[in-house]
Amino acid sequence: MLSRDLATQVLDEVLRRGAEGAVVRLQERVYELVVYDSGVLRGYSISTVRGVGIRAVVGGGTGYAYTSSIDRESVSRAIDRAISLARVASSYGRKSFAPVKPVKDAFRVEFKVDPHTVDPQVKVELVKEVNTASMRRAGIVSAVTRLGLERDRRIVLTSEGTEVEVDVVGVGLAHMAVARYGAVIERVGDRESYIGGYEHIERRDWLKFAEEVDELAIKASQAKTPTPGTYVAVVDNEVVGLLLHEAFGHASEGDGVVAGASILRGKVGERVASELVTIVDAGLVEGGYPIPYDDEGVPKGRTVVVEDGVLKGYLNSRDTAQELGMGPTGNARAQDVSFDTLVRQTNYYAEPRDWRVEELFEGVSYGIYLRGRGAMGGQVNPSVGTFTFSIGPSYIVRNGEVAELVRGVVVSGNILETLKEVDAVARDLKVTTSVFGGCGKGGQTVRVGDGGPHIRTRRIVVGGG
Amino acid sequence: MIHEVVERALRVASRYGLDEVEVYAVRSFTTDVVGTIRGLERVTSGERVDVGIRAVLGKRVTVQGGMVSRVEDVDSVVEVASKVVRTLPEDPNWVSLPRKTGKVAIEGAVDAKLRSPDVGYFIEVVKYLLGRAKEIDRRAYTSSASVRSVYVERAIASSYGGPQVDEHTELGVFVSVKAVDGTEESGYYDFYSSTTLSRLNPEELVGRAVEVSVKTLGARRVDTGTYEVVLVPRVFASVIQSLLVPAVSAESVQKGRSPLAGKLGSRVLSENLTLVDDGTYPELTGTRGFDDEGVPTARKVVFDRGVLRGFLYDTYTAYVDRRESTGNATRQTPYAPPTPWMTNILVEPGSGDLQSMVRDVRRGIVVYSTIGEWLSNPVSGLLNATVTNGVYVEGGEERFPVKGVVIAGSIYEAMGSPELRLTAAVESFGRFRVPAVYIPKLTVAGR
Repeated sequence: MLSRDLATQVLDEVLRRGAEGAVVRLQERVYELVVYDSGVLRGYSISTVRGVGIRAVVGGGTGYAYTSSIDRESVSRAIDRAISLARVASSYGRKSFAPVKPVKDAFRVEFKVDPHTVDPQVKVELVKEVNTASMRRAGIVSAVTRLGLERDRRIVLTSEGTEVEVDVVGVGLAHMAVARYGAVIERVGDRESYIGGYEHIERRDWLKFAEEVDELAIKASQAKTPTPGTYVAVVDNEVVGLLLHEAFGHASEGDGVVAGASILRGKVGERVASELVTIVDAGLVEGGYPIPYDDEGVPKGRTVVVEDGVLKGYLNSRDTAQELGMGPTGNARAQDVSFDTLVRQTNYYAEPRDWRVEELFEGVSYGIYLRGRGAMGGQVNPSVGTFTFSIGPSYIVRNGEVAELVRGVVVSGNILETLKEVDAVARDLKVTTSVFGGCGKGGQTVRVGDGGPHIRTRRIVVGGG
Repeated sequence: MIHEVVERALRVASRYGLDEVEVYAVRSFTTDVVGTIRGLERVTSGERVDVGIRAVLGKRVTVQGGMVSRVEDVDSVVEVASKVVRTLPEDPNWVSLPRKTGKVAIEGAVDAKLRSPDVGYFIEVVKYLLGRAKEIDRRAYTSSASVRSVYVERAIASSYGGPQVDEHTELGVFVSVKAVDGTEESGYYDFYSSTTLSRLNPEELVGRAVEVSVKTLGARRVDTGTYEVVLVPRVFASVIQSLLVPAVSAESVQKGRSPLAGKLGSRVLSENLTLVDDGTYPELTGTRGFDDEGVPTARKVVFDRGVLRGFLYDTYTAYVDRRESTGNATRQTPYAPPTPWMTNILVEPGSGDLQSMVRDVRRGIVVYSTIGEWLSNPVSGLLNATVTNGVYVEGGEERFPVKGVVIAGSIYEAMGSPELRLTAAVESFGRFRVPAVYIPKLTVAGR
């Protein structure tokens, strides 16, 4: 069992062996996954990630070492490695970190039912029921249903006196259906996650949830792909989340900015979006993934990245904050202890405005209603400003009305162009997260939240078929 | 430690009355050096031991595991697995864990220099990559460079034998170059990925990144329409991995998630295309003596001159089709259930070089890099990839750089054309050894 005492011992030892500064991270993450595939249980796994990560600063150089083994000898070796790597690094230049006030705190997600203590049979039965109901539905040829249950406990101690512990419990169910219509086969997947205990799983009608996914897959298999080209688009909450995360979020990460690899570098104070667009990154927001402290132990508050269309700042670690002359924003995050931190988004979303959702369709003679259900994710190249993402079955808009469904929709655009084209922002803010995936960067995946209200953009490139 | 873990887990499992048990343990030692335009950013090193236990009772199966902090940690993993397996429903398709385990002799899976990596040398490589770009072209600079070295030991044992052990190394070197000229900006990354240091040429790596990033300065969109498209090897490889590999996984075929179901023996791609899965090919990063459930790896032709010759199997899917595993069991993590996936993909070369291929293009785009191709849909076979570095070609001449357009269409139509062509030169990187490809017709969504 990992404890704050162990972290204190490791920190003391790192400093005793000559480090001038250190961050010690302990983590224990348990992930339980039940998978039913086309009527058959394909997996019931419980996996654990546990270990110690040590960042040492010696002579201005930093080294990071980790070990999954917590016996005295392995931890001692890891401490030596961190210090020795820091010494090597110090001969190639000094690094400095923005000062922070030490903080001592513990954050725990409240829950009623510990998901890992629920009878395995109950979990298996739930997933089986949802999956087999789906397989019985006419038109569905394959279905994968997953139940994910997670507890992630992290302890961060720093040589400046910070001691924080974050304990997050999350649950969710994902369902992917494959439908066939003639020679066309199409898939649609969706997932819902909740921060909290198994009570959230018990409350939700998952048969209804899967039925909606199945019906959408069936309809999508009968739909055409959209004509490729540039469209006026009404974008739903989930796609807005993807759009902001990929189209803007990554480029606003401070490590890319200081490396000269972001198209947003040097643009603070400039207009980068329509004046209707305000974007924030917040550690604690309803529906999102709770990140009250980052993996450097820095509080993650609410960071305004874009205000009324003007770039206000970047997301920072202590290191990039120092380089950019800004305050740390609590965005240094690592997938687990086997990685040192990178600058990452937490819950990245757009603030709502006054429009009703229906008003966004008014005046659109020909366009597309981009829908998130079935979205597969996205990718960006922040240095050239190009982003893309695959979204769910969507609808053509004709004369202000939502018309036929289209499948296989992919959109792409440029960071500095797309958000300037936003001409309406609705009032229906929604932020979501997932226990089935997250954001990938530098070989690491971290949980994030994203979202926003419905928006309308005057032009976006749509591929497909 | 992994030997102790495997032996202890089997010993402990014998107390629980299980019918079959498999223990898979992996120890990995990783070293990372990362630099940016600011200089050296991070030097990281660590080791981890992961273990996965597959427990079987009748036709009930479960996989449990995770990072192991001490050898004794496997006791609780085995205990949980044996408890959980009793609560599960039967899997009607379950037959057995692999009974024919073993390993083939392979070459080039381990580079002794990467067993105990020289961090100082890696730092020098990163420094060179960081400094060299601007020397080659004043408009270019390296925004980031990194080296990652991994040494992996694996051990697997089951009720049917073992333990089998092997080791492999991996080296990844990455360089990202930006080019700026007035208000125009572009960027391109290149990488080296192999089991060995021996073919690493930092000069060539950064040179190519500079060449493409400078060449694609001032890129713009082309009009929406149909174009000829040339994919350089790394883009071609990514398209294969996103669309063809999932479609030839026996699991996808059996579960109705592959458009290739029922097409064995049919011509589904151009007769110019022969594609092989080979887990024994030297110096590619998917090379192993045995797959992730202890079955020997092998070379197998998947598409022979466009004709679908076989699917990729692990033991579970092989039993479903009453045949042998092809040695393609892969686990996303050591504690995940195995599924069939590619080892290394080799595409047989064609003729001619990239330059002559481009000279034959009447109106098309040469694609040097894309993003989002992994978001394509292997179930429907629809390709969607956004071009980040490309060049528009007309009448065999490069006219202007292109970015921000989406190349789209059915992969089977695009790669089924008899006019599809491949270069004679192939590139080896990661798990691929492939040439460049010319596709006569693809939809491009642009202006």
